[in-house]
Amino acid sequence: MRLSTLLTLPAALLPLIYAKEQHSYTEHLHLKPLPDNSLYAGFTFTSTTPYTAYASNHFRYFPRSLAQILQYTHTAELHLRFALGRWDEESWGSRPRRGSREGGNGVELWAWMDADAEEGWSDLVNSLSGLFCASLNFVDSGKTTRPVLSFEPEGTLEELQETRNGTGELRLLHGMLPHEVVCTENLTPFLKLLPCKGKAGISSLLDGHKLFDANWQTMAVDVRPICSTGGDCILEIQQTVDMVLDIERSMRPRESPIPRPLPIKDITCDETKGYNGHDTCYPEGPGGEMGWSLSSVFGRPIRGSCALGGGEEEEGFDITLKVPSERTVEVISETAIPQSTSSGSRAYRLPKDANFDLDLPHQALESSSSGAFALEQPPLYASRQLTGHGAERGGMHTLLRNPHPYAQRIVYLESLPWFLRPYMHTLELSGAGGKMEKMFYTPLLDRQRGTHLELLIEIQPRSTVEITYDFEKAILRYTEYPPDANRGFDIPAAVIRVLPNNATQDQGQGRDYYLRTTSLLLPLPTPDFSMPYNVIILTSTVIALGFGSIFNLLVRSFVLVEEVPVGALAGVVWRLKDGVARVRGMLKGGGVGKEDDGGGVVKKGEVVVGGEVRKVNGGGGGGGKKDT
Amino acid sequence: MALSARLLALRRSPVLLKLPPYLSALCILVGLGWLLILPLNEYSRQTYISENAILPGQVHTYFGGSEHNVFRAYRQEVYGLSERSDHERIAGLGSVMREQGLKVANQSYSWHVAGEEISGTNVSGLLKGPRADATEAMVLMAAWRNFEGEINYSGVALALTLARYFKRWSIWSKDILVLISEDSTYGPEAWVSAYHTTSIVPTASRNISSLPIKAGALQGAVALDYPAGPWGQRFDKLDIAYDGINGALPNLDLFNTAVQVASSQMGIGCSLHNLKDHSDSYKDRLKTISKGLITQSVGHATGPHSAFMPYHVDAITLKTIGDGWHDEMTLGRTTESLFRSINNLLEHLHQSFFFYVLMNTNRFVSIGNYLPAAMIIAGSFSISALALWVQSGKPTPSEGTKPMRPGEKRKQPGMTVVKDGKNVALVPKEDLEVVERKMFIPAAVVLGVHLAGFIPLYLLNHVDRSNLPYTFITLTAATVILPQYLARHFLSNLPPQQICTIQSLSLLLLGATLSTLSTLNFSLAFLLGLLCSPLSFVRPLPSLRFSLEQSTRYVSVDDAAGIAANLAVVGPISVMFVAVSPPVVLWVVKGMFFGSAGAEGMLVEMARGWVAQGVWTGAVIWGVWWPVWVVGGSVLWSGCWRRPADDE
Repeated sequence: MRLSTLLTLPAALLPLIYAKEQHSYTEHLHLKPLPDNSLYAGFTFTSTTPYTAYASNHFRYFPRSLAQILQYTHTAELHLRFALGRWDEESWGSRPRRGSREGGNGVELWAWMDADAEEGWSDLVNSLSGLFCASLNFVDSGKTTRPVLSFEPEGTLEELQETRNGTGELRLLHGMLPHEVVCTENLTPFLKLLPCKGKAGISSLLDGHKLFDANWQTMAVDVRPICSTGGDCILEIQQTVDMVLDIERSMRPRESPIPRPLPIKDITCDETKGYNGHDTCYPEGPGGEMGWSLSSVFGRPIRGSCALGGGEEEEGFDITLKVPSERTVEVISETAIPQSTSSGSRAYRLPKDANFDLDLPHQALESSSSGAFALEQPPLYASRQLTGHGAERGGMHTLLRNPHPYAQRIVYLESLPWFLRPYMHTLELSGAGGKMEKMFYTPLLDRQRGTHLELLIEIQPRSTVEITYDFEKAILRYTEYPPDANRGFDIPAAVIRVLPNNATQDQGQGRDYYLRTTSLLLPLPTPDFSMPYNVIILTSTVIALGFGSIFNLLVRSFVLVEEVPVGALAGVVWRLKDGVARVRGMLKGGGVGKEDDGGGVVKKGEVVVGGEVRKVNGGGGGGGKKDT
Repeated sequence: MALSARLLALRRSPVLLKLPPYLSALCILVGLGWLLILPLNEYSRQTYISENAILPGQVHTYFGGSEHNVFRAYRQEVYGLSERSDHERIAGLGSVMREQGLKVANQSYSWHVAGEEISGTNVSGLLKGPRADATEAMVLMAAWRNFEGEINYSGVALALTLARYFKRWSIWSKDILVLISEDSTYGPEAWVSAYHTTSIVPTASRNISSLPIKAGALQGAVALDYPAGPWGQRFDKLDIAYDGINGALPNLDLFNTAVQVASSQMGIGCSLHNLKDHSDSYKDRLKTISKGLITQSVGHATGPHSAFMPYHVDAITLKTIGDGWHDEMTLGRTTESLFRSINNLLEHLHQSFFFYVLMNTNRFVSIGNYLPAAMIIAGSFSISALALWVQSGKPTPSEGTKPMRPGEKRKQPGMTVVKDGKNVALVPKEDLEVVERKMFIPAAVVLGVHLAGFIPLYLLNHVDRSNLPYTFITLTAATVILPQYLARHFLSNLPPQQICTIQSLSLLLLGATLSTLSTLNFSLAFLLGLLCSPLSFVRPLPSLRFSLEQSTRYVSVDDAAGIAANLAVVGPISVMFVAVSPPVVLWVVKGMFFGSAGAEGMLVEMARGWVAQGVWTGAVIWGVWWPVWVVGGSVLWSGCWRRPADDE
């Protein structure tokens, strides 16, 4: 069994669609139970549009919002990835779609663009940032690289250029944002690009709660041009969502998602243990296949098909389920479901306007190791770690293991941020079976460009290769630290492309296999940020006190009260106030022993008038005292 | 102008020149007193959680119910494994974790120390946080044998049960590594060092295999020490061990979280350094401080958590003590809550203190308040060194201070006129002179003795276990003899001015080293400062030699009486001085703390610390303290061998 076969399905349909109508839309769901009660679900949504319609802004299934961005930024081919979690190769085997629809943790983006790529790239990331609610705008020049060997266009770019009469070469730019946390706010715009917008068809299963509770999940948007020899081009957008769900966790009811300890009666005890008793229970692994259904795992059944346009006549099936033939599968739907069964695989077509659900009850399979669970071995195992401790230096250590009996050539791509400064003289390829054939290296420029390192390595059969190098940690300016500086800085994943070779081509796997290592967390020397704060407060206080008093002394002129001249306006104001006070004094009856507005105790026989006026106009004629 | 002139004049003030020894003594007393006032409420603070993200005890814990049955089964399983061979045990632990869905890896390690081998195998399992991105991890540890060497039945079983329980949660933002190390000191040490290196190159003394399974940057580690047997044993309190290698400490927030979760959420009392009954009185607080001072100055591991500190991973050990009414589920819930708190961390623990002195589980002194104690003591040596430096620049005291001998002629002391404004004074010339200091020999002596310190360091760390006590006895004898030898054959022939310089340099070095050390390991610097304090007051002893003058060939009665009087001074002082020599102090330590193991046990521990744990207390003892003491001794006894007439 090969996961790649699912890709051939839409691919096989393409000429058919192409002949009939160039606007087309297909979707497909691939389900496959994995060991450890996991379930792989791969959603594929493909729409196409003729290039002429695209150029004249005429869209049916192709999302307009994305198309306009592509037009504006002159992007010929686009690949955007949102990824979370890790694919566990040891338990789950080879990656789905040969890793071609995966990205490094966080967000990854690469595109082929027209010659004035720098500006277009900046526009592209900013527009996509808005469209997908991701911080893609942080992919600046420091995070952008131009890989040479790692990526090849999936579309027919040369023909496209001819069609468009475009001049100049298309350039590849690649950027990664490992720190970006993918969440529902990215899923919603992703679903909105689909014609059925998650309301019908397989996309109705995509629910943020379940998707982001998965052990591993990746969302991808891929736009590529496909040109026939005649010069007719179509533009294809493929949106994929791949995930591995923990069946047990996904089936927990949403009302009580807390995994409380099960009641003891629900736990199977190993009764062969001598100490087994009423209060002692050695838990036994669940025997057989766990029971699940689409509605219990995804929270709801599929709400009918998303059959648009020519969907009726299609021969294709919407859902493929890879289970051994002896596994019981019940289809729950109100209408009859066209289905086909082959060894180890079943396919279903969704009904129109009716719910569809699959139910696989708990079942003990005799040969669980055969059939669907015979995992395909991945071409390569890779792991990457940071070594060393302390704030000054560190090291990178990558382990690549070829488990196959034939030699493989791989391309290893690292794009490192500028504050990680690798010592290239320490770059070493150790291990018996490794040979470096080519190296592309672009050194970093502080604050402008990161390191780009690409290695073409041949790995001998059944051998392990270690790539190690040391690096120095740069000291950042204090404004360059993020708010969570002590968390460390994310280092993007290394991208590994396993090139096809004769041995694999013989087995019909003639395509590249991609895998990415996990991203890393690099602790950088971090200042105590409360220190500058304290210093700023202290110095501000001292300066305020010192400056304030000196400034006061410098600009204030000290004169006797009598010497202050009376301004014309001030004189008028005073006279007015004086008059008012005089009148008020009279009204209050002789003005004896009364308190004034100014407050304070007043001596008997005195009336004080407007203290502040008196201060300014002290010499202004008789003071503010009223004669008694 | 006037001020600086006055200050310059003050340089020659006789009062000022007499002051330093008193000042030094005052510094030492103030330093000691400083430590003694720390337990008072006015000088210490209540602990508090500084990092907002931790939210200790804010989550409801669900560990219980059927997990208790599972725990009992695992405890039986662990008990069963303890009766099998090492190989079967490792395989058994691995298979339990594998059944739970953890990635399991074994790591073997061995060290060769003192002719012995320390070896073992760690079993670790990786629980991948379902939604984590492999960048961060936390460690749940239970050593197979706890620090006292007992089998950690319940601790290991609890770690396994918790791993199974944690596996079902999807909230983990960090991976969880479950480590069952073979022992409590060297297993974690091997594991954590392999975690931070590519591959450790095997040497003659060390062979640690690399770790096949790693996760991201470690954010915290919690060790469980609960050696109750297969039928369980309830406990009274949780003892929280926190001090790491070389006196490094975990972030106070981690400690506070553990205390808060245990005492506020679970109602378990906490203790420090096994002090079960802490009445929060001055006496108990001081006792806790001094226990901490001792473990931190020794710098050796105090539990499985200790090895993590040098790698900037905060770690603590929860150790059950006493006989009470808390059971394993309470400890499990405490650990669950603690892990939930660590899981909440958005950044590496950095908010709270890394340098503190604890006097109770809820009171501490921060570095700004306690550091002066060690600094002032270190300063006392610098003061003495400066005084000796000034003294070494003065010409040798003229004969006027000594009794006249018959027939001896003396020159008049040269006088010079000093004018200061209107005042004119006649001052002895020598008071104003500065003699050129001859630096080569003093510097060479100090450097040579310091280099010689590496001989005992090397010997004690490379000699076989059986020979260690003999080596140490030889070393003790050599340590006492060496200063005598240096004094007799070397220093007594030097002019007093150079002896002064030697002592000044030596004390200067000591002062600088101790003040630096106090910022790294306060406890060690403080205790070493106290032990070295007599060195500030060392001056050449009176002579014990007869003045053999050319003309006379007999011993005068006066001479004999004088020598007898000198002997009465020299004897007690020498004995006291030898009592504070490094080897003698180590013998005393042996007597106090290594009753049954004896000198051999202590020396093997020291060698293990140096070779396997990376403790540098040994280097400080033999590379700083010992040379300074030897130089001090040489200076002290140089006077005894000096002929009275040699002073000319």
